[in-house]
Formats: sequence, structure tokens, C-alpha cells
Amino acid sequence: MVGMGIASAEMDGLAAEYATREPVAILELAFARFDKIAVSFSGAEDVVLIDMATRLRPDLAVFCLDTGRLHGETYRFLEKVRARYHLALDVLSPDTVAVERLVREKGLFSFYETGHTECCSIRKVMPLRKKLATVDAWITGQRKDQSPGTRAGVPVIQADTAFSTAERTLVKFNPLANWSSADVWGYIRANDVPYNELHEKGFTSIGCEPCTRAVLPNQHEREGRWWWEEATKKECGLHIGNLKGGR
Amino acid sequence: MRHVTFVKKIKADGSPCRKCVDVEQRLQAANLMSRIGRVVIADEREPDSEGMRLAAELGVDAAPFFIVITDGAQTVYTSYVKVLNEVLSAPTSAEEEAKEILERSDDLDFL
Repeated sequence: MVGMGIASAEMDGLAAEYATREPVAILELAFARFDKIAVSFSGAEDVVLIDMATRLRPDLAVFCLDTGRLHGETYRFLEKVRARYHLALDVLSPDTVAVERLVREKGLFSFYETGHTECCSIRKVMPLRKKLATVDAWITGQRKDQSPGTRAGVPVIQADTAFSTAERTLVKFNPLANWSSADVWGYIRANDVPYNELHEKGFTSIGCEPCTRAVLPNQHEREGRWWWEEATKKECGLHIGNLKGGR
Repeated sequence: MRHVTFVKKIKADGSPCRKCVDVEQRLQAANLMSRIGRVVIADEREPDSEGMRLAAELGVDAAPFFIVITDGAQTVYTSYVKVLNEVLSAPTSAEEEAKEILERSDDLDFL
């Protein structure tokens, strides 16, 4: 049977209907509706998605973004996951020409000077965009508790506004949106799911090696990413609230 | 007949918004500034500055943005890539497009 997709008109209704459902129910819906669908795997605790999804679809399509700057531990973990779940893991590399130009013009650590956006655009967003052009839907491990600032409103199902085009709507499933970090780690322990050894070294949010650091107990996981640029992250906002509250 | 207004921001500390500077430099590098009819400042220190008033009136919450009037019809663009493609008929690179996607999607770089 061919998946019927999700029409724009039913997106909000399904998101509301599944908002309190367990991740497996959301995955079942995703696989029932879409044939061309893939899981995005970051090499961190989102491995629980792979554990759940391969039980539903053994020939699961999984991809990860190899920025070229990941920790050795993460590469070893990717291999462990590939073997454990018998995955044809699609490891996506960035565009060589774009990376070489960036490094030639700005060096290997430009993100410490001018912010991480340019480097992430080339090493993550460009290959991600290329990959997502080949599927109708994707599945992420995004959770609300990962970042109060940017993920608090993550729904379990959404039209992907970043990668949809005028011609087609890409659908994004976030089955773990309402799970906490404790829920994820409870699942990992209960199901003997492999995990990235960086977690044993104090890393909670795992990204590229130069841009990720271990955090202390009770520090939020996002304090381990791009810590040098926190103060300038929101600088583009126009503070209209102040305007309205003014004269 | 088309008129393009470019609204850029001065931050509360008096320094220019980095993204606005970046966009202006990209417009200049592509020789497109001559097609921008007006540059307006949204100065966070001056709530009555023209740019701040325009942002409030148009419901725009981030800078820079563009106001395009074509034969009397007004369209507001918050996407630099869209302005280049749809208004200025200028090509954009995959890098530029990816950068804007990321700038407009706070959560993506956490992947």
C-alpha cells in the first residue's frame, strides 16, 4: 500500500490528536502515511528513535550529518549503531568545494570569531537540504526540554517551514517532543540501547568537537554548545514590545 | 514601477545589527544597492525612529526587512533570499540559502 501523506488541512488536527500519544504511536502514524521517510540521527541520545523505529520498520532509512568535525567517540558510536540495528546508515558529507572555500578564506575555527552560523550552514544545512529534497517526511529527535528558548513549542507533527517549497510540503515528525531527558535515559537503560560514550564524560548535547563541551551538574545541556556567543544570539530581534510600551 | 525600502537596525548599544551589516555587504558586493530606493534605520534607542515605527505597523519582529511596492501594492519581505530571487531577479548561492534557512530556524543547528 502506498502511504497517503498528510494533507495540510489535517496537519493541526493530527498534531493535536497525537500531542499526548507515545512516541511509538507517532512513529506508526508516520510509517503508515509515508513511504519516502527517513530518520535523522545526530549520534546522541536520539538513538532511542532508531531502537523504536526499527521494531516497526526493519528496513528503516536513517541518515546522519557528518560535518567532518565530530568527536571520535561519535564516529565510533555511529558504527556501533549501524551494526546493532543492521542499518544502511546514510552518512552525509558536506559539499567539498564549499568547505574548502570557507576554510581557505576564514580558517578552521572561524566560528569562534564570527559565530557558528556560516559553518553550520555549510556543514549541516546544505547536505540536510539536499537529503530532504529526496523524501516526503522526516523524523527527528527534537524535544521541548532541549532548549527552552528554541524548542519549547515543538509539536509532534508539523509542516516543515524551513525545507518545504512552493511545490511541496515536507512533513516533520518529532515523536520525542514531549519526552524529557529522564524519559529518554529511562528508555535507554530499560531497553539496553547503546549510547555515545561522550555522555559518560559529561556531555549532554553532542555536536561538533570544537563547538561542544561537557557541562556541570545542573547546567542546562545547551550551555555546552556555542557558549562563547550566547550574548549575541538574539541580536536581530526588533524590540517592538518596548516600542508599544513607550510614548 | 517598483520601489524597494531596506530597513536595517541599530542596536540599543548603538552598534549596527550584525545581520543587517552582512546583508548590506552582500547587496553591495552584488552591485544591487543601486536598486534599493531607500535605506531606513530602525534604532532601538529611538522608538520613534522610522524603522521602528514601520516594524510595529507591519508586524515585523526581526531585522533586516524589505518593503517592496510594486504598482501600488505593498509586500514585506523578511527573507533576503526571496528579495534577491523574486524582486531583484538575482541568483543566490546554495550557501546563502542555507545560511538564511539556519538564521530563520533557531533549532536546526542543534541537529
